Amino acid sequence: MNSLRSLKPRLQGGILLATILALACAMSIGIVLADDAKAPAAKPLSPPPPAPEKTSATKPEKPALKKVTGAELYQIHCNRCHPERYATEWNSGEWKTLMTHMRVRANLPPAQAKQILKYLQEDSGN
Amino acid sequence: MKIHLHRFGLLPIGCALGLALAQPVAAVTDEEFNALKDVVGKQGQRMDQLEQTHQQDQKTHEQDQQTIQKLQQQVGETQQIATNAIQKAEAAQVQPVHPIPPGPASTHNFMVVGDAEVQFGKVQGQHSAFAMADFAPIFLFRANDNVLFEAGFDVTLQNGSQPGGGSSTHVDLSFAQLDYLFNDYITFVGGDILLPLGTYSERTAGWLNKIPDDPLARGFVPGSGIGMQLRGAVPIGQSGQSLTYAVFGVNGPSSLDTNGLASNLDLGGNVGDTGNWHSNPSGGGRIGWFFPWKPHYDVELGVSGQSGEWDNAGSHLWSAAVLDAAVHISPFFEVKGEFINSWYGTDDSGNVHARGGWVQAGYKLAGLDLDYPVINNLELVSRYDRVDDGLGTRTDRCTLGYVYYFSNTLLFEGDYEFVHSRGPAALPSNEFVFQLSYGF
Repeated sequence: MNSLRSLKPRLQGGILLATILALACAMSIGIVLADDAKAPAAKPLSPPPPAPEKTSATKPEKPALKKVTGAELYQIHCNRCHPERYATEWNSGEWKTLMTHMRVRANLPPAQAKQILKYLQEDSGN
Repeated sequence: MKIHLHRFGLLPIGCALGLALAQPVAAVTDEEFNALKDVVGKQGQRMDQLEQTHQQDQKTHEQDQQTIQKLQQQVGETQQIATNAIQKAEAAQVQPVHPIPPGPASTHNFMVVGDAEVQFGKVQGQHSAFAMADFAPIFLFRANDNVLFEAGFDVTLQNGSQPGGGSSTHVDLSFAQLDYLFNDYITFVGGDILLPLGTYSERTAGWLNKIPDDPLARGFVPGSGIGMQLRGAVPIGQSGQSLTYAVFGVNGPSSLDTNGLASNLDLGGNVGDTGNWHSNPSGGGRIGWFFPWKPHYDVELGVSGQSGEWDNAGSHLWSAAVLDAAVHISPFFEVKGEFINSWYGTDDSGNVHARGGWVQAGYKLAGLDLDYPVINNLELVSRYDRVDDGLGTRTDRCTLGYVYYFSNTLLFEGDYEFVHSRGPAALPSNEFVFQLSYGF
């Protein structure tokens, strides 16, 4: 009985402390909830702005130039002055000599002459 | 006392019980002992045998290991020998002092190409006749990738001089030049060079010309000259378009008789074997533009010229300017031509202005798509010439003809020339020519 009596003030103190703590928690929760309600809604991610339209000041894209093949260069150059000679008429070494001769005679650009030579050598069969 | 007696009484009872409980050990007979001894002995022997076997196995294993090591060493030595052999072989291939150039085999190459023509024709007022028009071989010798020597001849037959008669062979060196390709844009040409006045002289041959006779205006400019030339082409884009150039210096036209009389102008001489007839060389060049918009569709334009002294005294200049053009529209149609303007000072006729032009068109009937074999191999050609030699002779010539292609190199040509010429050097009027031409 005496022990119980000695516990009463302690119990009362504990209850008071627990009550204070509960009130503090409740107040904190309430403050936090109130702040969330007042904050504005977050903006959704917007797509990047479109590219500016090309004006007349900018250069328009040029279509890619088609590179002429050796066969086409052969048709372009080797039929201008004489009937076409067939690739099988000579062997690779002879075509090299002939194309050197024609490069000088017809004043062919060297890269084009080499392409024609490559085409003729590949089709010469020997 | 009772307690002591009680205790003493328990003791013997305990002993008795102990004795009763203690079972006597079974007696081992000698036989069993000996058997067990034998078993133990045998086990011992077995153990010894196993130990010996183990030792032998260990020795064998060690020997195997040594053998494996030896074999590995031999394999390594063999690999090293093979590697050394490969390296030696590669080194042997690199031994040549001069690297072997890439590309097809054979650095040098010699070829003979060219053409030959036989004609049958008739000039008005003369008898018809066969004629060995030309045998024109071209020798090509390629020394390496950058050096080509080429020479062309015209071999013709002429009637022998009277009173012996017979025939004589006339050999004309049409060109003999060394071509050295400096780089992609500059080619050096030296010797008896074809002159880039227009394009006709560089692109003419019996089997290339669709009409046997040369354009009349070509007589106003030389076809070749002794000298040097730099030429090249610059591509424009990737479509085949290009700009071409040529600049040259040659001895130039000269006088047949040293003086500056108009009739003594010699376009084809002055080869320098006794020095240049006049003091200064003659120079010129050509610029051309070629544009194909697709295969078989193209246009080429060019402007060229030459100027220099021609009489021995160096008092008079001879000059010429040529405009040339060629258009191809489809594989079947072409038109080309030149305008040639020349002028030169003379001792007797003042400034002589010889000029003229020609335009030629051709249409291959295969373009009609009639699917007839003869028609598909036929090409209709025509040319119009107009010239004024500046000395009073004017000529108009209209040529109508055909080319029949037996193959890409065997051509049968025929044409009729309507000639209207007047003046002191008027040409014979009207003629027809048939020509069989073979290119090789």
